[in-house]
Amino acid sequence: MEAAQVERAGLNLKPSSRMPEDAAVERPVEVGKTVGNIAVDDPIFSCRDVDVFYGAKHAIKKVGIDVARSQVLAMIGPSGCGKSTFLRCLNRMNDTIEGARVEGSILLDGKDIHDRKQDVVQLRARVGMVFQKPNPFPKSIYENVAYGPRIHGLAGDRVELDEIVHHSLKRAGLWEEVKDRLQQPGTSLSGGQQQRLCIARTIAVNPEVILMDEPCSALDPIATARIEDLMEELRQSYAIVIVTHSMQQAARVSQRTAYFHLGDLIEVGETDRIFTNPRHKLTEDYITGRFG
Amino acid sequence: MSLSLEGHTTRAFDGDLSSLHVQAVAMGALVIEQVQLAVNAYSGWDRSAATLVLDRERKINLYDAEIEEAALQVIARRQPMAQDLRAVIAIDKVVTELERAADEAKRLALAVLSDTEFAGFRPGAATAREARQLGRVAAQMIRAALEAFDRLDPAAAAVVDQDTELDSEYAAALRRMITRAMEDARQVQSAIEAAFIMRSLERIGDHARNIARHVAFIVGDFDPTATGVLPSTVAVKT
Repeated sequence: MEAAQVERAGLNLKPSSRMPEDAAVERPVEVGKTVGNIAVDDPIFSCRDVDVFYGAKHAIKKVGIDVARSQVLAMIGPSGCGKSTFLRCLNRMNDTIEGARVEGSILLDGKDIHDRKQDVVQLRARVGMVFQKPNPFPKSIYENVAYGPRIHGLAGDRVELDEIVHHSLKRAGLWEEVKDRLQQPGTSLSGGQQQRLCIARTIAVNPEVILMDEPCSALDPIATARIEDLMEELRQSYAIVIVTHSMQQAARVSQRTAYFHLGDLIEVGETDRIFTNPRHKLTEDYITGRFG
Repeated sequence: MSLSLEGHTTRAFDGDLSSLHVQAVAMGALVIEQVQLAVNAYSGWDRSAATLVLDRERKINLYDAEIEEAALQVIARRQPMAQDLRAVIAIDKVVTELERAADEAKRLALAVLSDTEFAGFRPGAATAREARQLGRVAAQMIRAALEAFDRLDPAAAAVVDQDTELDSEYAAALRRMITRAMEDARQVQSAIEAAFIMRSLERIGDHARNIARHVAFIVGDFDPTATGVLPSTVAVKT
């Protein structure tokens, strides 16, 4: 109808939604060279030329990126792009997968996490992880949080342990909801509460980095909002790396965003820019829903 | 590489975006007609043409409201990102520019319809000629800006942005008004009235220029953290 109106007006304006081939801003289309600045000042993690192989499959290709302190780094990309694989490199979770091989340099506070002297249990205390599905231990709420500090020897006595549990649950925004039922099983909580219990469990051992692998995908919008709110609070004390399929979530919670595509890190940059004016065509196609 | 508002995995999104785009272009076509008709009404002191301008003004306002509502729906339902987000925001702004350009056309019509002893001054032959000339250039600018907007063509938009013909014509017209007023004090009031009309036509050109800048915003390279939402090289006139 509108087109007819335009024609009737005799203005020879033919709505087209298209522009000439040569007039648009050029965006790179090649892969293999990350667009954007991968380095930050004083990074907590510094990763360079990281390759991951699952047997013959080359899952991550020469990825280099820094993780900044007191920031949330969001990793986005389509399924199978390698973002979760890369996340799992950061606390050597891929060690547990048979046939997985990690190459390249991953420095935590300047020290190689693949160093022979590196205690993997200690590493995972420094670099905690929250998974897609809440996975509380089949123990009480109290024990879920107390377990880590106890095995790492962080509490001298019961009073100190109580203090750690109290502090961790409070920071995870769960204390008020569970303070009167600490001895009930962790599994008795709702999904969102269980996920916050897992976050409390992670922060109980004083990590420096928290990795989150789609932490809200099993939660309702209200529980998701509480976790996102919590992330904003936690990032004051910890670096957070989150893998998410929700671009809106990445835009809401992160300060930097990295886009992965078929094992390549295509683009990394300030979240403000990535979601308004990405530099790489693949990033643009993905975040505007033109992927594939 | 070409920029297209189409190509989404969700094809309904393509439809929503191109419908917004097409409606804005259609509204623009109506605005050009309004400008031309208003200039004719003023220069020919034609009350029926001026009445038609006011009647059609309602349609322009309806377009404005409908497109704004549709843009809101696209944002709420599709959560556009990157170029799509820029396009929705820019289309909404283009529509506002068009609506304001139509308002300027309305001022010309109102001048004709408020023709009384104390308000409204029928232009003499020279003023009518100047209004026609400014109106022609202003309508051309709106048309060129709309064509750039239709094709999302930043090169064409840049031409509109740099067009100074209307500014020169306006400055020359103003000089003539001042001269006329200085020569004959009885013409001061009519010269002021005519200057307001010329000013309205000049502002239509400003709105065309702003539309061109919104085209650059959709397709252009910019740093939102450094410049807000507009390209770094421009500042939109209001």
